[in-house]
Amino acid sequence: MKTMLGVLLILTLGAVPARAVLGEYESSVSLDQEYLRGEIRVTAAQGYKFHQIIAPSGAIVREYVSPEGKVFGIAWQSPFIPNLQQLLGSYSTQVQQAAQSRTRRRGGPFVVRTSDFVFASGGHMRSFHGSAYVPSLLPKNVSAEVVR
Amino acid sequence: MTFKNSSKASLGRFLAVVAGLMVLASCGGSGNGLVPTPVTSGSNVASVVVDSGPENNFINGIYTSVEVCAPGSTSNCATVPNVLVDTGSSGLRLLSAALPSLSLPSINVSGNPLQECIQFVDLSYIWGPVAQADVHLAGETASSVPIQLISASPEYAVPTNCLSLGTGGADLNSVQALGANGILGVGNLPQDCGSLCISAANNIPAYFTCPNGDCQIASTPVADQLPNPVALFATDNNGVLISLPSVPLTGAATATGSLIFGIGTQSNNALGSAQIYAVDANDDFTTTYNGVPYSSSYIDSGSNILYFLDSATLGNIDCLDIQGIYCPNSTLNFTVTNTGTNGTSGQVNFSIANGDNLYSSGNAAFNDLAGDSGTGVSSDYVDFGIPFFLGRNVFVGIAGKTVPNGASAPNGYWAY
Repeated sequence: MKTMLGVLLILTLGAVPARAVLGEYESSVSLDQEYLRGEIRVTAAQGYKFHQIIAPSGAIVREYVSPEGKVFGIAWQSPFIPNLQQLLGSYSTQVQQAAQSRTRRRGGPFVVRTSDFVFASGGHMRSFHGSAYVPSLLPKNVSAEVVR
Repeated sequence: MTFKNSSKASLGRFLAVVAGLMVLASCGGSGNGLVPTPVTSGSNVASVVVDSGPENNFINGIYTSVEVCAPGSTSNCATVPNVLVDTGSSGLRLLSAALPSLSLPSINVSGNPLQECIQFVDLSYIWGPVAQADVHLAGETASSVPIQLISASPEYAVPTNCLSLGTGGADLNSVQALGANGILGVGNLPQDCGSLCISAANNIPAYFTCPNGDCQIASTPVADQLPNPVALFATDNNGVLISLPSVPLTGAATATGSLIFGIGTQSNNALGSAQIYAVDANDDFTTTYNGVPYSSSYIDSGSNILYFLDSATLGNIDCLDIQGIYCPNSTLNFTVTNTGTNGTSGQVNFSIANGDNLYSSGNAAFNDLAGDSGTGVSSDYVDFGIPFFLGRNVFVGIAGKTVPNGASAPNGYWAY
């Protein structure tokens, strides 16, 4: 029985990506919860729902899920910038590319817009906030403005 | 870069030059109807300049000179010019390349040298050891304070849990990347982390120790963290005043002003007619534009442009060639209202000019260079960078310190 549970566990874990979560299925949210060591709460809204994770650091991460079960947006408010590789998954490479192409330091917020990815990092020492979303994954009749 | 031994004579000369610059600055005019720059001199006055920085690769960088000495020493010292004055952070961080002949003692936590990683909002970062130094600014001294040394070849690799992107964020470990020889953080915070970093269980990736080369988050007492050095001065320790002359809408090559220590502690740093805007627990206040409140707004001398909402909200004024910078066809005028948590409310007027034209002008001090802060109303706010400071006296009150007129500002405040 123990072995079977182990096999089941491996199968379950194998079914979700190693990294959460933007653009992935809702099940990947639990990986972010694990990484943030946080408590999670799910709230239903008109046309979507969001998971809110609150970490011991005071970091708050919200992950917005469409009726199709995909994470279409992420938002954070945190004393430090959370692990964006973890939260953005494959989309983090677009932020990396934009950061590398910046030749001149500006000392302020960082906005990235590509054909199907929108990202904003804002705030300052001990109070950072930001959001990211995938326009093509937005549920019908839901504005990107809900991701906050 | 210049290095010299500390001496009273050289300090005197420095102050004389500062006083002279103050007089020049006061003649800079007060365009835009803003507060004129006062004539100031004294042991609490450091000269600042807004220009293109030591590598001539910056716009609207504000720099001063800092002298650091081994604790208690008057001879084992180095003067570091071109240190960025940053009201958006707290703590002194210097490139170790700017201190080649100065050896400073480390700060140890549980017997291991303390290291720090600081990540900035644009995902750039600074990594290096924490050392102890006496910090001299104008005639003021903070004794035996933790400062951070930024090494181009650090003893330990930067911990991956500090880097949000893994790779990609700029490592600000050279004068070229930083656009400065260091950062002097003189913001609202008395320390850069505070109580959150006392316990490693809070999982804040800022302070680390690396026993056996394995860097882990370290429980770090507040006294070992980087302080805002101003907060540790014997006097004039409740904040700073940054006073810069105004510049034309076409910009100026440089703008010279002063960084004055203390608020309401001497005749040259009185609040006068300035209004206090207390900040919230996130060190932010609310800026309202077109009836919409943006509650995460702040003032930051380390931001070299005015970050104002987003292009779509303002009518699609993005530059075609520089992402995130505004390029309106003709200069636009705006009025916003700032509201502090103490209830003070007041209007701020500013202009936004064509960024392409400003960049190609060859000037380096602009009061009308702007760009985007977010991607829509939900992520937008206002980061009042250097353009806001030009032509104003701006006070930065440190949290927990005396407020001159008794206003309620437990998290610190701005006054202008």
